[in-house]
Amino acid sequence: MSEIVEEIGQTVLTVIGDVLGCSPQDLREQPVLAAHDWDSITSLEALAQLESGFGVKLQLRDFHAARTADEMAALIAKALNR
Amino acid sequence: MTELIDALRTAVSTGHAPAADIRLALAGTDDPALLRKAGRALAPLTDPAGELRPVRVSVVAGCTVGPYEALLRARLVGAGALPKITAAPYGAFELTLATGGFDAASDLIACVLDESWFLPPELDFAEPQSAADHLEDRLRQLRELVTAALSTTNAMLVLHTVPLPGHVRDTMVSLRARTALTRLWYRLNTGLLELAEEFDQVQVVDLVGLLGDAGVRARDERLHAYADLPYTDGALLLLADGVRRVAQARLGLSRKVLAIDLDNTLWGGVLGEVGAEGVALGGLYPGKSYQRLQRTVRALRDQGVILVLSSKNDPEPVEQALSDHPEVLLRPEVFSASMVNWDSKAGNLRRAADTLGLSAQSMVFMDDSAFERGEVAAQLPEVALVDASGEPAQLVTSLVRGGWFDVMELTGTDRRRPELYRARGLRKDFSGGFGSTEEYLSALDLKVVIELATPFGVARAAQLAARTNQFNLTGVRFDEVSTRAMLADPTRLVAVVSVADRFGDEGIVGAAWVERSADTWHVLNLVLSCRVLGRGVEFAVAGWLARQAERAGATRLTGAFVPSPKNSVAAGFWEKAGFEALGDGLFAFAPGRDPDPTPSWIPADDGPADQATTHELPAGG
Repeated sequence: MSEIVEEIGQTVLTVIGDVLGCSPQDLREQPVLAAHDWDSITSLEALAQLESGFGVKLQLRDFHAARTADEMAALIAKALNR
Repeated sequence: MTELIDALRTAVSTGHAPAADIRLALAGTDDPALLRKAGRALAPLTDPAGELRPVRVSVVAGCTVGPYEALLRARLVGAGALPKITAAPYGAFELTLATGGFDAASDLIACVLDESWFLPPELDFAEPQSAADHLEDRLRQLRELVTAALSTTNAMLVLHTVPLPGHVRDTMVSLRARTALTRLWYRLNTGLLELAEEFDQVQVVDLVGLLGDAGVRARDERLHAYADLPYTDGALLLLADGVRRVAQARLGLSRKVLAIDLDNTLWGGVLGEVGAEGVALGGLYPGKSYQRLQRTVRALRDQGVILVLSSKNDPEPVEQALSDHPEVLLRPEVFSASMVNWDSKAGNLRRAADTLGLSAQSMVFMDDSAFERGEVAAQLPEVALVDASGEPAQLVTSLVRGGWFDVMELTGTDRRRPELYRARGLRKDFSGGFGSTEEYLSALDLKVVIELATPFGVARAAQLAARTNQFNLTGVRFDEVSTRAMLADPTRLVAVVSVADRFGDEGIVGAAWVERSADTWHVLNLVLSCRVLGRGVEFAVAGWLARQAERAGATRLTGAFVPSPKNSVAAGFWEKAGFEALGDGLFAFAPGRDPDPTPSWIPADDGPADQATTHELPAGG
């Protein structure tokens, strides 16, 4: 389970890093998304890329409740039933 | 597809346009998530080499548009344009249109509206008919806004039909009431579409039809609730694609030639293996699907698309099958060039382009073989490819869905184009047996008519301005609206040039836009189709302009040359016509004093001043 979440986490870091214009390493060092340029526009861009990339639909309130990339990965793993 | 994004980022970071094959890959992508990424990556794109056609777009929306700008940018770059997109402030739809608060130099004003702009704030679900007046009123207001906006710009304003959300319809429990509201909504969308018929500068994308056809959801309720986003990325992409098709037609980026394979494309099976009687064509499936493709190809030809037959076969059986098979709809004479042999298809396409006097960039190639498409892609990356493998029932959709051949409006020349290019191919064969150019031109029975443009020639002149890249002296692309305005302006003149010869009538192949004062006439631009280059027609135009200027009392005729990556063929034209170089790309001629540049084989025979003038080559001339 944790391995799968970790694998999803790698992809999540890449996707969010791409949207925010920072590297996955930056996000590992500072995992709180709000500490980056995580505003309404970038968050919706990330939502579109994550939903398209993983083929899932997320509940918007759960998506906004995810504070870190790890929490986002866990949310996606749950949506994927993993 | 991260390779595509990487390739786009590399192009942006190295400061040049993405290569033709990358642009075509972008054009062939339908993934909204990828395209919004591509659009963001392309925002800083520059094109110092001038490979792309600049286009300025103003987005004016009555709602939040989310990734629309990025999607539109990706689509426009895919079509070969270099977009500069500006977005009007959120919530200022009416103000922006009413006061001209958009980029006045825009080529396109792309509007985005949702149902909330039209519906009454409190819809009476029991009595939807009560909304009729409100809907009419909103449509009238929109018409007034369009009128106001167009009074300040030459841009093309692009509207779209608007879907009625299912929850509005389904809140009505009365089936009769629901039908009534649906009817009112269809009437509203009809009114929107009618604006395109009323205004030359308006186009309407049928978003409702596109959504239904593509099976794309119009709305993501989460994003509508959270960000007031009325449309999904998929819906916005369909709209962006509709706007791209308008831009492509307006900028002259559409294709002119369809090169198409025979075996397993225009009919099922391989002629060389099963014979003409054995190919699948007509009757039941799959033959009916191949015949449907032939019918579609014939319809494209009837609208001016030039057909090239591209088949690896022996020519005789192909000729016989096309002539004799009772179900064939594309007889041999519909093809402007026939490339039936065992040579490489890329080489054949190159030869066809040369014969027809067109670039590979104007071609679409449809073939079922991945090998053939791959070879063409490798050698002629600017040729657009259509995959004809797989399901025969999908062939028609595969061919037409890209809108490769869209034009703003069909002209008479468009419809005759395939015949003109067929004549051009014959003319090329004929040219082999003459000792000198003059001898050849004499035998052609060349006839050149230069005359003032009439309202009937305006569309064709504007089309030439948009499409002509090689013999285009200044690159100024006068559109239909500005050209029409010049006809009524005594300080302007628009002339059109028609050419005919023994092989056929080329129709209007050139146009000149001139600014005239009492002393000086200045050529704002002169364009000539590459079909007629090499016959001295451009010098006859210079001579005609000089004589007309002299008759009007002007003592000076000036012109300019602005180099572009594609117009080197026209470099040196003014000097060769006897104009004196003044520097900064300006040239001057003294009508009546400097020698008339009209070639000897096109004798000047002007009518009264400002009247149609015919230069006819005398027999044996």
